[in-house]
Amino acid sequence: MTDSAQNANKTARKGVSRRRFLLILGGGVGALAVGAVAAGPTLVREGRLAMNTLFLTGDAPGTAPPKAPFVWFQIDADNTAHLYIPKIEMGQGIHTALAQVAADELDIAWETVRVHQGDAERGFDPALIFTFGSTSVTALYQPIREVAAALREMLRSEAAAQLNVAAERLVPVGSAFMVREEGGDNLLEPPITYGQIVAAKQGEWKTPETTPRLKTGAEFRYIGKSIERVDLRDKVTGRAIYGFDARVEGMKYGAVARPPRYGATLKRAGTGTAGSMPGVIAVVIRDGFAGVVAETRAKAHAALAALDLEWEGGTNISQAEIEALVSIPAQGGTLIQRVGDVEANGGGTRVEATYRVPMASHAQLEPQAALAEVDGDSVTITTSTQSPEITRDSVAAALGVDAAKVRVVPAYIGGAFGRKTGVDVGAEAAILAKGAGVPVHVGWTREEDMMYGYKRPPAVNSLWASLDAEGGVTAVHHELASADILLNPDIGAPILGRILGTDPLAAGGSLILYAFPNRRVVYHHTPIPVPTAYWRGLGSFPNTFAIETFMDELAAAAETDPLDFRLRYKPEGALGDRFERVLNAVAEASGWRGAAPEGRARGLAAVYDRGTVCALVVEASAENRQIRVHRAWCAVDPGLVINPDGAANQVQGSIIMGLSSTLKERFTVENGMAAAQNFNAYPLLTLAEAPTIEVIAINSSDEPVGGLGEPVGGLVPAAVSSAVFALTGERLREMPFTLA
Amino acid sequence: MQLTINNQVYEVAADPDDMLLWVIRDTLGLTGTKYGCGAGICGSCTIHLDGAALRSCITPASAAEGKAITTIEGLAMLSDDGEEVLHPVQQAFIETQTPQCSWCMSGQMMTAAAFLENNPQPTDAEIEAAMNNNICRCGCYARIRAAVARAAEIAQEGAA
Ligand code: FES
Ligand code: FES
Repeated sequence: MTDSAQNANKTARKGVSRRRFLLILGGGVGALAVGAVAAGPTLVREGRLAMNTLFLTGDAPGTAPPKAPFVWFQIDADNTAHLYIPKIEMGQGIHTALAQVAADELDIAWETVRVHQGDAERGFDPALIFTFGSTSVTALYQPIREVAAALREMLRSEAAAQLNVAAERLVPVGSAFMVREEGGDNLLEPPITYGQIVAAKQGEWKTPETTPRLKTGAEFRYIGKSIERVDLRDKVTGRAIYGFDARVEGMKYGAVARPPRYGATLKRAGTGTAGSMPGVIAVVIRDGFAGVVAETRAKAHAALAALDLEWEGGTNISQAEIEALVSIPAQGGTLIQRVGDVEANGGGTRVEATYRVPMASHAQLEPQAALAEVDGDSVTITTSTQSPEITRDSVAAALGVDAAKVRVVPAYIGGAFGRKTGVDVGAEAAILAKGAGVPVHVGWTREEDMMYGYKRPPAVNSLWASLDAEGGVTAVHHELASADILLNPDIGAPILGRILGTDPLAAGGSLILYAFPNRRVVYHHTPIPVPTAYWRGLGSFPNTFAIETFMDELAAAAETDPLDFRLRYKPEGALGDRFERVLNAVAEASGWRGAAPEGRARGLAAVYDRGTVCALVVEASAENRQIRVHRAWCAVDPGLVINPDGAANQVQGSIIMGLSSTLKERFTVENGMAAAQNFNAYPLLTLAEAPTIEVIAINSSDEPVGGLGEPVGGLVPAAVSSAVFALTGERLREMPFTLA
Repeated sequence: MQLTINNQVYEVAADPDDMLLWVIRDTLGLTGTKYGCGAGICGSCTIHLDGAALRSCITPASAAEGKAITTIEGLAMLSDDGEEVLHPVQQAFIETQTPQCSWCMSGQMMTAAAFLENNPQPTDAEIEAAMNNNICRCGCYARIRAAVARAAEIAQEGAA
């Protein structure tokens, strides 16, 4: 393969120029360490996709090149290639997927790759490390390839100089080059390894003037392959360190007093007899905060009861009152979609329905946890966080120190699903560590995480549609009300809500993309005095449930097969083609056109969510009025699939978590506090209740355009509701589903 | 008190009613055993006591005195030349790419290892019953079934 201009593909043409390709070169003797920063098209795209970051930080994308790297390579003399990844591994396989992307373009032998978590120590901007919203691959695919290719070319030209041959004659063969014989095709032994090139290098490295040609799909060695996860060996042997596992010499354990009601604050706090409880090292009381540091977690928690605390304010709201708050008022709201004229076309037969999604706990299996070490005004926090930036800022604010003095070390995350955005436990550990003068680890109990963690916002969606005499849909109106995600004043940007009139994250997925001639969507902002925020899928979860179940209701009203009905109204243009492809793929895999086995029925749902198009079929039964999902098939098109087995794992997990919500989970509040404290009162789906799942991954592009961790979830309740309707004629519109 | 963990004897200063999980994790620093609920529900904290699977979050440390404790760190073996040889269950969980976040997986693997010890050739229904009390929030259930079945195969191959 040669680097001819003729071969240059379109990605290379829109690549970075030298001006934007600022390399940070360095490293020790015999090592080449490269961090790269870029601006321009890739950064703009990242900014666009990562709308959450944009909203949270207020940074306008693309205005100035960032000063921090977004990827870091280091090649050692022994030919090991260290790769520092700026995203956090929480089970989604991101370290593996991004390493595949980098290794492919750098042409390294897979066994030489060592993947590390990138952190602030290597100059990474904590904002970049924010791992959320299924955006990691789409945001970093192109820039990582550009840097890896540039690094490969640096190694090639250096090897050419060392061997005194033309660079064109050097052929990458996996962490090494071989020289092509002059005038022939044979490769001459011995190869020169990247490590040898690095070790023999004298003087400055030269960075390329332009971005080299990037590989085409046919040339990929790792992208598109089901490569084993790089983190599993450490995980199955118990060596992997998560936030709850962080340890340091001399550390003690902290526990923090929690209010009896949401929103209550400390009116008065005294140490009581806590200081003389066994094992207690320090009682830390400051404005609005009371906590204990002790020799063990149990002793710290036991001492909390001996504090002398008085709480004031807060809510005593009941579940019924919450449901009344999250409802659709007779008027008002913010218009967020208008296609055609719904009013003028709202005659004919009317179909209408209202759907409800309750609060839910993330129930990620590792509760919040952080270790804080305070040394003067410098702080180190080792924690499971999706956002080192938010952790850093909340710790800095809590201790009144400069954010630059707070170092956040991101550990492996034992499940997050939106729960670990860094809003609380890091600051608690820091306050206690400073107060006690020793390093302190705070790990929330399950009860604390369930009672005090923010929740999935409850939502209600009402839809109506008009059908003409032939069963054609003339208009669809969708109105929704949700408690807050981004507008939650503790975590988000309330000012944005005032400007937009919506919570943009709760409104996600609420637009009607099917090609009905007249469409309208209205959003109602209905906050509740219970903390609600990010939960896997954000607004896409309730909105997809509502829209897709309604599609099934419309298909029934139009006496059309739900698959044919969706194909008839598929979105316009290329998106419609992608819908058609996933719908047909899932229909074929599931045998949709044939009859379901005796006693079972199938349900279908499809969605476009943040770049990914997917369709799901479930097969369910309702023996003894117990809903059971036996099988599921999901076709998913995220553009380009980096790791098919990893993609399948994400989709399978999303379906199981979605089914757990569909059939089991309902978080309720009584007298202003969680009714459930642990899994006995908040059961999750178990293994015996899980269906077998077949995933069909579809590549529709030469680059990844969407994520995989979230789009599928909201399809599950819609497909299950539709299957139960096909089976029993009963429509389930409120999660979790039960047949009376 | 004295605890024997993965064939090593530890002298620990623990109260008799301190839960074994926290003695293992916090006092001794063997953090491979995980905490998920502290109430015996989720199975994350599963260890072996004299070969039987046990939930360490609800077991007082004193109950383990004089018995052999195995944690996830002790599941693999060392070969004669000092190489780590994974237990068939660990091999199978990697081969099937089962873990996602993996926080539940120490408990899943310890449960599976004890189960297969007693039932080396289980049916799918027996696997389902044995693994049904371990929660996996990441939703790896379909793969856990496959992994346990595969582990049984690997163990058979090894024994043959
Ligand atoms: S932590 Fe022991 S069963 Fe959940
Ligand atoms: S892999 Fe995350 S809880 Fe099981």
